This record gives sequence, C-alpha cells and structure tokens, in this order.
Amino acid sequence: MKILIVDDSSTMRRIIINTLSRIGYTDVVEGENGKSGLEKLGQGGVEMIITDWNMPEMDGLEFVKTVRAQNAGIPILMVTTNAAKEDIVEALQAGVNNYVVKPFTPETLKEKIESLLG
Amino acid sequence: MDQSEIDALLAGGGKPAKKGKAASKAAEADRAPAPPPPPAPPSAPSVRAEPHKDGSGHVISELDTVTSVTERESNKVMDQLDQISRLVSRQQQLITDMMRHEGAQSQGVQKAIHEVMTASKEIQDKVFEAMDLMQFQDITRQKLERIVHHLRQIHDYIVDLLGTGLKSDSERPSISHTIAQTGTTPDENKAHADAVIEAFKTQKKG
Repeated sequence: MKILIVDDSSTMRRIIINTLSRIGYTDVVEGENGKSGLEKLGQGGVEMIITDWNMPEMDGLEFVKTVRAQNAGIPILMVTTNAAKEDIVEALQAGVNNYVVKPFTPETLKEKIESLLG
Repeated sequence: MDQSEIDALLAGGGKPAKKGKAASKAAEADRAPAPPPPPAPPSAPSVRAEPHKDGSGHVISELDTVTSVTERESNKVMDQLDQISRLVSRQQQLITDMMRHEGAQSQGVQKAIHEVMTASKEIQDKVFEAMDLMQFQDITRQKLERIVHHLRQIHDYIVDLLGTGLKSDSERPSISHTIAQTGTTPDENKAHADAVIEAFKTQKKG
C-alpha cells in the first residue's frame, strides 16, 4: 500500500514515516506542500493520503478539495495543529475522512489509518 | 544565551544580572578556573540572518532563521535516533542468534539473554518515544509562524499609515489560528477531534 505524506515540515514527515513503518507501511511518497502533493499523486499508485493543513504555495485544505474533485474515493487523513471545532468541520466538509490534531501518539495514527483502510 | 551573546558579553566585560540559585551557581563558576570556550558550531555563521534596515523585517528574518535552524537541528537529532534504532535492531538480531547457540542452552544463560533482550526492547521503545516527541519542533515552528504573521500585519499597517517603505512578502505558509493550548495532551486532542467528527457524521446522517 503506497501512502502519500504531504507536510512542509521534514521533521514531521519523518515522524509519520517512522510511525507508519512500525505498523507495517513502508511504501511512502512525500510532498512538501499541496502542489508537490498533487504532482506525486499524479505519478500514480497512491492508495491513501496523510496531509498537513498549513503549508506554503498550496495549503492542505485546497489540496484536499483539488484531490476530491478528481478522486472521490481515496482515503484522506488530515494531521494538523488546527484544533478548533470549526477547522475540523471545515476539513470534513472539504472531503477529509478523518482528522488528527498534533501532537499525536503513534497509537492514534495507527487507529485512524486502520479505521480508514478497514 | 548563545555563543555570540557570550562572546559579546566577554568582549564588553559586562556581566548579566543573576538571581537566586543562578547567582550562587554563577558565583561558583566565577571562583572556578574558566574553562576554554567551546568551539562555535561550523555551520553557525551560515545561518545568521542579515540585519535589515527595517526593524520588524529584522525580527521576521530572525524568527525565520530560528525555524529553519531548529528544523535542521531536529533532523540531526532524528538522524542520531535512527542510527540508535538501527544499532539496537542489530543488537536484537545478535541476541536472537546467541539464544540458538549450543553453548547458550543452560537455564541461567537463557534467563540472562532474555533480560538483555528485554532491556534492548525497552531502549528501542524509548528511541521511538523520543522520535515522536520531536513533533514539538513543528508545533513550535507554527507558533512562530503565527507571531511572524502578526508582526507582518503590524509592519504593513505602519507602511500604510506612513505611506512609505515596502510591504512584506506574501509567499508564506498559511498559519494556524487555532493551535491547541500548550500543555494539551495528545489524548485530549484525540478525544476533542473524535467528538467533533462523531457529531459531524451524526448531523450528516440526520
């Protein structure tokens, strides 16, 4: 299963990649903002997306809306510092399937991924 | 206090104000022979922000430098943790091989090997925990981005007011206006997000 991770923080991408490898997902591609995320998605094979919200050039919300306009089915998990109820609702309305607020535990990430893929 | 501030202080001959425990520690340090100053990190000069003529621009530039330096340094810590993790995995493989060895079949040796393996797994867990804790870097970076955003608003307001100078650049990441309060635990974050998601789903169904 190939997972696309979109986050402008290289540290955060590494943390997510580490967590994924611990739960058995090692096929990962990375994007540092929505724009590069779309490019990686266009290369094909991605079966799930984990994206941040606040990024330069194209933020996570715009990225999710663009992806959803082309692909209704791909599971999208948003992992962000945005913690307000309105933010979570806005992301869900944009097409996010699930939502994790940073900082998170590996157990939370695992639970959310498994619920999306289950 | 960083090395440049220490150097400036030494060059100026002044001493920073100290209180309480810090003062007594400093007094002890004053009595002790001064150790040679540690060498400056080789990469430090390359990341220093150039001073700007404009004050707020300088502060923004300094904050940008702080975020890029902390990200770079965090990645160095992650590299070290990755390396420790690989070494521990190798150690576990060696322990597993050792357990199969003919000479290691006595009960006492097997018990000792099990204990070493347990300790090794604990180290691995602690390394993973440390990696997860590095999330603080991204959260701090986003808090700094929020400060920069407000500084830029003040800067642009003053530019508008005085009708002079340049407005700040616009190519920056969007900022989080709603970062969870400092000290909020990951479990509290999860419970909050899950409750909102559940309410959203229920509302959608209804």
